Amino acid sequence: MLIRPRFTEFNNVHVPQHELDFAIPFLNEDIPLYIDPFLLWKSPSMLDKGLHQMIIAAFNNLGVLARSGRIDEAVEQLILASECDEVGLGNSATRKGKRIGKKCALDVLSLFERIPFYKDQGFRHFEEIQLFVEGVGKDRISDIACNFIKSFLIDYTHQECTNLGISMQVVIVTAVYNPDKKGFEEIKTKLPSHPETGEPLLLIPKRWLRHVPWLNYDSYFRNHCPQDDIAHEGEELTRVKVLTYNRENYGVVDAYIKEKERTVADCEHDPLFTQIPILSARRKFAAIKKLPTGKDGNADIKYERLIGELLPSLFYPYLDFAQEQARTNDGVSIRDLIFYNSRTHEFLREIMNDYGSKQITFEMKNVAKIGREHVDQLNRYLTDDLGKFGVFVTRNPLQKAELTRTINLWSGQRKAIIVLTDADIEQMVEVFDSKQRHPIDFLVRSYHQYRRLCP
Amino acid sequence: MQTKDEVEKLEKVIGQIQGAHKEISILAKKSPADSLNAFKLTLINNVIKASNEVLGENYKPFGHFDQFESDDLPSNSDVTMILAQYMEEAERYRSDNVVYEKYVGWVYKVDGVASKIQSGSPSKIGKK
Repeated sequence: MLIRPRFTEFNNVHVPQHELDFAIPFLNEDIPLYIDPFLLWKSPSMLDKGLHQMIIAAFNNLGVLARSGRIDEAVEQLILASECDEVGLGNSATRKGKRIGKKCALDVLSLFERIPFYKDQGFRHFEEIQLFVEGVGKDRISDIACNFIKSFLIDYTHQECTNLGISMQVVIVTAVYNPDKKGFEEIKTKLPSHPETGEPLLLIPKRWLRHVPWLNYDSYFRNHCPQDDIAHEGEELTRVKVLTYNRENYGVVDAYIKEKERTVADCEHDPLFTQIPILSARRKFAAIKKLPTGKDGNADIKYERLIGELLPSLFYPYLDFAQEQARTNDGVSIRDLIFYNSRTHEFLREIMNDYGSKQITFEMKNVAKIGREHVDQLNRYLTDDLGKFGVFVTRNPLQKAELTRTINLWSGQRKAIIVLTDADIEQMVEVFDSKQRHPIDFLVRSYHQYRRLCP
Repeated sequence: MQTKDEVEKLEKVIGQIQGAHKEISILAKKSPADSLNAFKLTLINNVIKASNEVLGENYKPFGHFDQFESDDLPSNSDVTMILAQYMEEAERYRSDNVVYEKYVGWVYKVDGVASKIQSGSPSKIGKK
């Protein structure tokens, strides 16, 4: 059983995130990023620009429908477009979201009537609806964009899965926008599916993702909204008041959009993982060095937090961080760092082949010396499912008795337990700065030193 | 030393060890725990290998040490320490093989007799 399973690992594709063009979806939860249509608009690629045009055309068509008396059809399309579970973006812990209600859809469509600019020319960036309608946030913007270009996303997913050799099944995909018919339809196609629910999965290019859309309510409110005009002194400045003001004063919104278009050079996609700066790594190690062993003053929790912040950056890009996991064993709290084994390094391939490590467990122990019970705890955790290779991250080297115990585990059960001490972490931080070596080499060193002792 | 060739080799490795020691010492002073990259380590190992051949069993600083293992990721300070030992031993070897010739100065002994190859005074003079 994998911890926090990802789509690729589940399908036996072991490629780290930075080598893939798409954001690897989790099977049980959403990725906390969103498609920002502005990134498509600013992209130098004609493909992205073309897709942005398609989104805008489809969205403006809702206005055409609404004005030509087919308001029910427009409402139905907007509600259908408002949620896209196949992509797994957002904050949901279950990969399931809710669609907008009819009232919200009517509010959005009323903009085509109420605001002369939209009535005459339609939207340039449909994200602007966030500035007029309550209840429309970044998740809706992202989902609406996804649904209008779902046909492309199906092709993209199919292509990526074919390249990686991921199996696909015939599935029914709902709410696929057909530009010819100017409406949504259900299609049957071959796509990868969720192993439990059987629902189709769609992949999204990394270059379209941001935590917050470039056009968003908060930046408008903070820097462009004439707050004094909306609420007088002493009055509460509510979001509803701002949205109502915007509807009556389109010029302010227009100025905001133009300003954001001018500063487009600053609009970049957000990476899925960012390494901590070198200075920060040094500070974290200095803080670790000052910590006493044991639990006094919550030293153990501080140690685990600092190591938890350091190691994912040190091992990037070879190991993708999966999760910090807390578990209890015999009433003792244990904290692990779990990494996906991407097998991009010779050593990582070796431990996958020898120990079946699909994921690698780092158990953190802020103790002066690792005891027998600690080795036993980690040993019990090293199963066939998770792999038989584990790492202690602790303050000092193992003493002779415990070292012998770990060697016996290799002799008897072919399980390997190695140790990273403060001295190793210090050297890892040094090379993280100097770039003379990669910090993962110290994990390899620790393993080789251990194996030399094994019979 | 039996031949002039051996003198040449000794002079060459002394220069190499001193050069490497000087460079790595600078790195070690800045960050002692930092590691050498694979390229530098290969060069250092080549110098140590050549030194082992020239110095022979009698003058090799550590019987069990032949060269650095790349997997062991030696730190700058590790390398500096080993190179310092090699410098000492190379100097001891040179000192044992130079003689003072009147009106000429210090020269190497080749095959037991003073040659014309000049050298510096042994560093151990004055210490004892």
